[in-house]
Amino acid sequence: MLSLDAVKAAIAFDQPKLSARLDGANILIEGSYLVVEGAPAAASGPITEFAIRMEVNPRYPHLEPKVFEVESRIPRNPDRHINGDGDCCVTVWEHWLATSADHSIASFLNGPLNEYFLGQFWFEKTGKWPFGERPHGAPGMEEAYADALGIANRRDVLIYHLRLLSQAWPKGHWACPCGSGKIIRHCHRKDLMGLHSRIPPHIAKKMLRRLMAN
Amino acid sequence: MTIYDKNLATSHDDILEKIAEALDIPPSKFEEARNRYHAIGNWLDRPESEIAQFNPAISPQGSFLLGTVTRPFTDAEEYDVDLICRLEATKADFTQKGLKEAVGREVALYAEAHGMADPDEGRRCWTLNYAAGAQFHMDILPALPDAQRYQGVLLEKGFRALASDTGLTGQAIAITDNTHPHYELASTNWPLSNPSGYAAWFRNRMKVRLDEAKLAFAKRAHISASVDQIPDHKVKTPLQRAIQLLKRHRDCMFVGDCEFRPISIIITTLAAHAYNEEPTIAGALQSILTSMDHHFEYHDGIAWVANPVNPSENFADKWVGVPKKRENFVKWLEQARRDFGLYLRASKFDEMPTELRKNLGEDFVDRMMKAATPASALGMPAVSASAASADDLRRAERAIHQIHQTGSQSKPWAKA
Repeated sequence: MLSLDAVKAAIAFDQPKLSARLDGANILIEGSYLVVEGAPAAASGPITEFAIRMEVNPRYPHLEPKVFEVESRIPRNPDRHINGDGDCCVTVWEHWLATSADHSIASFLNGPLNEYFLGQFWFEKTGKWPFGERPHGAPGMEEAYADALGIANRRDVLIYHLRLLSQAWPKGHWACPCGSGKIIRHCHRKDLMGLHSRIPPHIAKKMLRRLMAN
Repeated sequence: MTIYDKNLATSHDDILEKIAEALDIPPSKFEEARNRYHAIGNWLDRPESEIAQFNPAISPQGSFLLGTVTRPFTDAEEYDVDLICRLEATKADFTQKGLKEAVGREVALYAEAHGMADPDEGRRCWTLNYAAGAQFHMDILPALPDAQRYQGVLLEKGFRALASDTGLTGQAIAITDNTHPHYELASTNWPLSNPSGYAAWFRNRMKVRLDEAKLAFAKRAHISASVDQIPDHKVKTPLQRAIQLLKRHRDCMFVGDCEFRPISIIITTLAAHAYNEEPTIAGALQSILTSMDHHFEYHDGIAWVANPVNPSENFADKWVGVPKKRENFVKWLEQARRDFGLYLRASKFDEMPTELRKNLGEDFVDRMMKAATPASALGMPAVSASAASADDLRRAERAIHQIHQTGSQSKPWAKA
């Protein structure tokens, strides 16, 4: 369980203009998020700042934090990857869980959140997304999951892989997802074992649930 | 034509280096202290000395040895120079009391011969006070070599690897304590200490940067010497500078509350653990402040800051009986994180936020900033908005490039 003290410790140095407090069951983080060139310091100060509110459930990282931009600096337009209420579409959560080794709140703040706001600043100035962008809705989610798994972006293939990876141990007698007609044990067993250790069942299950709901 | 003054700061690190340098003991004062303790050593070793037969040797310990001395908070306060007076004797030659008094008599004779006040007796050491102008006093700790027993105790407690590391335990000493039950008895049961081992551990925590700084020093001074030939006190590493800044921050934050403030050995030990040979002071501060509290151990629920050369010793042992000490440590760390974070992460290098200025000493910081950034002090014209915007864009481009090089982690999406 994520504690308020852990959040305070994570933001105090790296994001000193944010403060954290309890808000019911959640931890609420509010203030100015700094976008800084390099670590730990840039001679000219931060590149820019965004006023934000973050709602973090103590079950983080199992539950995705919600990030809101609160001063309408970012136009409320899905093409700017933000919803009408300021809810920022920072990243496809399970993609980050699957591709990052460090899921601490500090890692989220310094990783995806930094890239999101740096990207917003860059888009403001140039009209381009520096790290690319995902298609809206389910197609973006599928693309992100396929990227994380390193497989072709086809919904049926993706679902089959995720069913396989959701098992505590990949079933050797299942048909190999490569389409060879062989069973896994006699085909891509090694590759799938590697994938299974990289995408643990709890993340695969989350991906599968979300994919099936869309 | 633009003329660049190499003494002018151009980064946060330049400013922090200048502040830490000004907090350090000035070289002349350092040499004066060294000369004085060498003079005491010579006195104790003179033929008429009652302890001369035991080859007494004086050496520094504590912050003087670690290179983390900070200037006293006010001119009225003094540098505290901690010394070991080590005799080549055994416990068969002395009781604790016998050793303490033999050293004390010779230190008193030294004081008398130099027109100084009698030394004050402490629980473990003798304090020699110099005239007001000297601005320091010396705490002299009588000691005997006792590595064998120290290593034996470590073995008994299960610290086998440490016990066999002579680099860390070979200089351990037996010391006296006038509250110890065996103080007046002929006994082998003396308190043990290992300041040289601690210093060796501390040195290992910054070895890469120490050697690097010595090489740079040799190059600057145009001398051909190996790193081992250059004394440690000639250079400073980012770890030492960061500790000096943190101790100053502690001093300012708890001015008037010395009794309950976080003690230097806890700050130094946790900082050295958290330090990862960062090449800059800013980097060292970031590592230290974000992770120093990860190095607490908990023994039966009790917070434990283990002495790295004797893990059964808890530097935070007073926290159990005096919870305010622990509360103050937590309070200080929170404040230090925010103060240094606001400067390093949220400010330009020549704009120190009010809280950090206050917690490093306002007048002192203002003097340093003025000397290091005269252009800003003279009121340089503000950079135009368009130039600032272009600069922000360039910096954003560099930040994007850095992220691309390390492998971008995420792309924005739209949930709906």
